[in-house]
Amino acid sequence: MLTINNVTKHYDKTEALKHVSITIPGGACYGLVGPNGAGKSTLIKMITSIIRDYKGKIEFNEKRITDKTKQKLGYVPQDIILEEDISAFSNLQLFGRLYNLKGNSLNQRIKEVLALIGLSERGKDKVFAFSGGMKRRLNIGCALMHNPDLIIMDEPTVGIDPQSRKYIFKMIEDLKTAGKTVIYASHYMEEVEKLCDYVAFLDRGEMIENGAISELLQQYAVPSIYVKGSGIPQDKLEQYGTVSQEDGAFILYTEKALEAMEHIISYCRENRLDVERMELVHPRLEDVFFRLTGSNLRD
Amino acid sequence: MNAIMIVELKKHLQDKGLAFWMLILPILFTVLFISVFTTGDNEVVNQEIIQSIVPGYIVMFVFFIMISMVQVFIKDRNRGMTARLASTPLKSYYYLLGKWLPFTFIVIIQIVVLFLFGKVVYDVSLGQPIILLILSLFITFTVTAIGLAMALTVNTENMGIALTQIIALGGAMLSGLWMPLEMMPDFMQTIAHFLPQYWAHQSFQDAMAGTTQVPELLQTLVVLFAIGAAAFIIAIIRYPYFLKRAVK
Repeated sequence: MLTINNVTKHYDKTEALKHVSITIPGGACYGLVGPNGAGKSTLIKMITSIIRDYKGKIEFNEKRITDKTKQKLGYVPQDIILEEDISAFSNLQLFGRLYNLKGNSLNQRIKEVLALIGLSERGKDKVFAFSGGMKRRLNIGCALMHNPDLIIMDEPTVGIDPQSRKYIFKMIEDLKTAGKTVIYASHYMEEVEKLCDYVAFLDRGEMIENGAISELLQQYAVPSIYVKGSGIPQDKLEQYGTVSQEDGAFILYTEKALEAMEHIISYCRENRLDVERMELVHPRLEDVFFRLTGSNLRD
Repeated sequence: MNAIMIVELKKHLQDKGLAFWMLILPILFTVLFISVFTTGDNEVVNQEIIQSIVPGYIVMFVFFIMISMVQVFIKDRNRGMTARLASTPLKSYYYLLGKWLPFTFIVIIQIVVLFLFGKVVYDVSLGQPIILLILSLFITFTVTAIGLAMALTVNTENMGIALTQIIALGGAMLSGLWMPLEMMPDFMQTIAHFLPQYWAHQSFQDAMAGTTQVPELLQTLVVLFAIGAAAFIIAIIRYPYFLKRAVK
């Protein structure tokens, strides 16, 4: 279990994180979500003890993060940070050695990790010849060399092809199955929703809300109806809830979505209005964030 | 620390630019200048010139390692490798040593290769090889310590390259590596006594000729060590600032 207790971090006069407290249960996949500058990377650097001068307390399994504790942490940075002029094998060897792996156990682990990241055939190739997706996978592989209990991933799927993205998702699912704790920071709300059990929303250095995704959806997300057709008056829809427009269609947010749908269909039939498309929209994490901050994540 | 050292050595061995600066260019300069300055018929004078040019260019070109040192540290800092390594159990001073020591090996190899080149091609005298080796170790420490201090102090690679040119070329000119010191004005001869290149060059020449006097050798070693130690202290002072900037 990782406990982040009331941590605050200043960069000169800027407050990058303000009194953030999160408890991450062991074996969970925990999403950190927020726009640029929200403080996600700062928090991750504090957890990995790259940043050490902060107020508050961070503990892993009830112990402060020390060189000994670091043996149990694996960090996947947001940028691809690899030695490009040497092979994938040598990169993994470097990170293995940093965690005191040696000899046969090191070589064995390199083979395992190369298989895990789907680069067994490319282990001897120099990294500069790799595609962006392959580099991303190797970036993750380096963090897994010492088989850590807690893996901290900072935007691991930025700028990669769908195939590599899928591969990375599969790796994360495997890590979850193996009982590892994963912290997953991302801009992509749908990724967090798909992979994580819990989420913390950060905005401007503050933690706005956190908890189990299913509970947050229940608590904050309002079901909505997508309505596209000609001649449907907005004020009619507003009788049932809040309405917004998107690409010539209406999105109606209402707690009683099914009832509202029934009424709208009857109204359209009676008035011979043409309904092109109408569907119930499942509440998404994006909606929770919007509800909490009043803005979309990528605004 | 070994993990960092091994990777650094691998990278350096593959670095063609480093091989060019450290071996090919000094050999080209040595050949060029010897051919220009030994056109006379007097063999004794020619050999004296060669005995001065070979160690002179060795001393001048060992300073070019500072360019690579600056590049390695600045690149590591800017691309986030320094920060990433801070997330591992590697102690920060082992990172520093792991990056620094491979450069000392390279400089020692460079000096040995260039002396052997002088011996094989120009039959220079290597009268006191043990003393040459001791001097090589000391100048290696001095140069790499200055390189380390610079790498941890400058903000950009370009700044490091510019400073290296000033130190290497300016120092070479003022220390009599390009022309005999006696031909230079008095004030420049005085300045030369504050430069490591002067002391290394003088002592290399003595050791090659087999005429080293112990007090003079000790004086050179003390000067080289003192300059190196001062640079190393600057590097240690600058290191926390470098790390702080690296993790931002």
